[in-house]
Amino acid sequence: MIGLRSTLAGRIALTAFATVILLFLALPIVVIVITSFSKSAFASFPPDSFSLGWYQALFADGSKWPGALSLSAVIASLSTVFSLILGVTAATALTRSELPLRSAVYALVLGPLIIPHIVTALGLFLLFEPASMLGSPLAIALGHTVMASPIAVMILIATLRGIDERLEDAAASMGAGRLTIARRITLPLAAPGMVAAAIFSFITSFDDFYVSQFLSSVGTLTLPVQIYNSLMFDIDPSVTAVSALLIAFAILALVLVGLVRWLGSGRQNALLSVETATALGAPGKETP
Amino acid sequence: MAEFGVSTPSVGVAGAKPAASTGKALSVVALRKTYGDAVAVDEASMEIAAGEFVTFLGASGSGKTTTLMMIAGFCEPDSGTITVGGRDVTRLAPQKRNLGFVFQQYLLFPHMTVGENVAFPLQLRGVPKEEIRRRVGQTLEMAGLSGFAGRRPRELSGGQQQRVALCRALVYRPPVILMDEPLGALDKKLRDQLQVEIKTIQQELGLTVIYVTHDQEEALVLSDRIAVMRNGRIEQFDTPRELFERPKTAFVADFLGAANFLPGRVEQQSDAHTLVRLDHSGGLLKTRRHDLAAGVAVTVAVQPGRLRVCPPDDGFCTGTVETATYVGSVVRAGVRIDSRDTSRDTSRDTSRDTGRDTGRDTGRDTGRGAPLLRLEVPAGRGPVTGERVGICADPDDVNLFPGEQGR
Amino acid sequence: MAATLAGVPARPRRLLASRRTRIGILYALPAVAYLLALFVYPIFSTLLLSVQDLDGSLTLHWYADALTGVNLSVLFTTLRIAAETALFSLVIGFLLANAISRLRPLPAALAMLIVVVPHFISALVRTYGWIIMLGDKGLVNQLLAGLGVPGAPYQLLYNEIGVVIGTTAMMLPYTVLLLYGVMRGVDRRLLAAAASMGAGRLVIFRRVYLPLVAPGLATAGLLSFILALGYYITPALMGGPNQTMIASLINQQVMKQNQWNGAAAEGVILLLLTFAGLLLVKLVSSLGEAKKRSAS
Repeated sequence: MIGLRSTLAGRIALTAFATVILLFLALPIVVIVITSFSKSAFASFPPDSFSLGWYQALFADGSKWPGALSLSAVIASLSTVFSLILGVTAATALTRSELPLRSAVYALVLGPLIIPHIVTALGLFLLFEPASMLGSPLAIALGHTVMASPIAVMILIATLRGIDERLEDAAASMGAGRLTIARRITLPLAAPGMVAAAIFSFITSFDDFYVSQFLSSVGTLTLPVQIYNSLMFDIDPSVTAVSALLIAFAILALVLVGLVRWLGSGRQNALLSVETATALGAPGKETP
Repeated sequence: MAEFGVSTPSVGVAGAKPAASTGKALSVVALRKTYGDAVAVDEASMEIAAGEFVTFLGASGSGKTTTLMMIAGFCEPDSGTITVGGRDVTRLAPQKRNLGFVFQQYLLFPHMTVGENVAFPLQLRGVPKEEIRRRVGQTLEMAGLSGFAGRRPRELSGGQQQRVALCRALVYRPPVILMDEPLGALDKKLRDQLQVEIKTIQQELGLTVIYVTHDQEEALVLSDRIAVMRNGRIEQFDTPRELFERPKTAFVADFLGAANFLPGRVEQQSDAHTLVRLDHSGGLLKTRRHDLAAGVAVTVAVQPGRLRVCPPDDGFCTGTVETATYVGSVVRAGVRIDSRDTSRDTSRDTSRDTGRDTGRDTGRDTGRGAPLLRLEVPAGRGPVTGERVGICADPDDVNLFPGEQGR
Repeated sequence: MAATLAGVPARPRRLLASRRTRIGILYALPAVAYLLALFVYPIFSTLLLSVQDLDGSLTLHWYADALTGVNLSVLFTTLRIAAETALFSLVIGFLLANAISRLRPLPAALAMLIVVVPHFISALVRTYGWIIMLGDKGLVNQLLAGLGVPGAPYQLLYNEIGVVIGTTAMMLPYTVLLLYGVMRGVDRRLLAAAASMGAGRLVIFRRVYLPLVAPGLATAGLLSFILALGYYITPALMGGPNQTMIASLINQQVMKQNQWNGAAAEGVILLLLTFAGLLLVKLVSSLGEAKKRSAS
């Protein structure tokens, strides 16, 4: 590689600094996972002894967590479906047609990513409150879709742009109709992108706090709202176990996305590469 | 498949024409396409017989690809009609035209195996499974790809991928197969090899092919007829021999053979011949008869391979050999013509720049006044640098174009 | 329509073009309608509410409230914390991205994963992790005490230090990803060329490298500033009463005080600040583009 040779001391200093920062980025996550197996009630580190007590407490009778978990899962599933529908149609419109006001549509679709979430959440609250839909899981799912669909659109736009449009022309030249082309050519090729879009939409909804907090009622507290309340108001040690589960869930989802992308790309790149890592972080190439 | 459309002669609007009896595979009438103010294709018309290999030859921007795309249906003409086997397809979607198309970029479906790719068009047509298997096997075997049915396209080389694309386009026996520079992405050696294969398959199966390329040699090797295109117009649509020996315009003469151009004036017209007085040398050149009146300014065009070296007194002009390059079977020579009047020569460059980008390799006249003629003579008794020679040409090999053409 | 005036030959093409357009409109419709109803309309009603008095008459006094007294100091706190966060995440992100871009492929991939993966773990969870780490008996204070640093344990939670540490950690994935992309875009041969002309490493850094990455740096800094402006979770959980940010204020006004109009005004102020930041981003990137174009 052509570049500049740096001094040894400079390199060591930079590497050491980077290591420390990376350590500090990883540590909060590691600490939670370890603490979740701690026996003591207080989240001290390192724990004195280990047990599965907090995990058992999660599912004990009268625990609020299973309800919150399933509510969040239902809402996230709903908004994943909504986001995929909106995402596929919008991405198709933006990549495969002549759209008037194209850039305006683009800006509108990506808008929710840029506007502060709290403002979007406030707006949704002002919309649903008069309709007395606060606390409705459907309302929360609809709200989450506002946040999740732009991510789905971005991923799917990148996916569709990555599929050579002329492959569809080739199929048409052989006599394939519009539907056949979609079913036999575009859909199979877009499948990895669609899986990624679904997973990221799900995560976005599942982790959303702002919209959930504004739209939930006492009966319908999503998992993040429940976690927030636990941290803010009542110190419930089982929150560490919930957090650890969420971490495991997120990592699992990312591994899944990475795997699907890798398989979809025909295993051309190394499974673990900077490209795949950055692609994870910027689904559909995020440009602010 | 030549009988495509025979059973339904009344199909299409152009019912007045007898659809099938002529053996016409495809006809294009007054096709026109504009992009804003730019005319991409201007009144292109042609008829192509079944089993014919036709090439659209031209530089980029000549309209050859646009014409092909309009025939395929990927691009809608402003006006004109396209008829395939007697059926008017001008306004039909590509999938309803039943044509084959081979793209330069292969465009194999990456998520299907080679076999699945070739089977795809048959599946679309509801061909029974057993027959699909048989026909896919047959087609792949013909292209020398028997063992590759289970492979993914990306595991194949470029040449193999293009063979698969070819199989995929002909497996369902479309009446016409369109090819858009299919060998453009391959290296020279592979290109030569695949040209032969394509030609062989085309002849064996009696396919009707329309082929687009900017490579004259490729066009000459493959085609029964070539449509030379320029600025959206068909300059000439003829057999390679006709194009080469009887070009209708100076552009065609230059594009196909990189002709030598010399200005002159018709001196005399006889029953069999036309005599031309050349401006530079003042020599008289005999050509076959062209219908031109005496005194008319003309441009003489002769292919380098059709000029001969002869004793100085016998030629229509004399000159000095400036360069002589041995290139295998022939020697390429540049001969500087003796001028009778050097003062007026400087303004007249003989070989006009009709096709600067058409791959000519001989050194051009660099403005030293007298024109430089390019010759290709048999290597055996080639001229030597510095030698004074005469230049001769068979009257039948000389083409005349009225006016100062070839611009 | 114009098509009928354009004459017969032009019509088919127009029809085809309009077919593609029709399909586009048809497919764009669901998302556009959805976002107009659930994103644009709510924001407009927020806007409307912010200039309405309780009886429905027009007023600006919600803005006057928002820009005076405690609320004004909240605004200043927000700006201050966002600026601090942007600065730290920019500096740390720059060094980290630089270090990663010098690594071999595999370590670089691992490092990038460590940066990226937390981004997909709930911010609440990560904030909780930081709370455990920064507590009196947390890992950091134990470490400091173990090293014999005088004054340990420090108060790292429920004050501005905690908020800035936590928020910076949340912003780092953005800045690192952005800056990494920018750095990969720098043609390293330019640096070698500068060195061949006899430039020292400081000169090369200042005169060649920095100007090349400057637009990216500005964008990254502004982006994390914008994101931090509307940030709520980490400041609320890791800060004290003095670190109340504008988002917390909006939340309180809606949830506790039922002050929708006031919250709407705060929201609009936040929106305007965000737009101002985005405008700057656009300006910076167009300046960068112009520079690139004049260079090539």
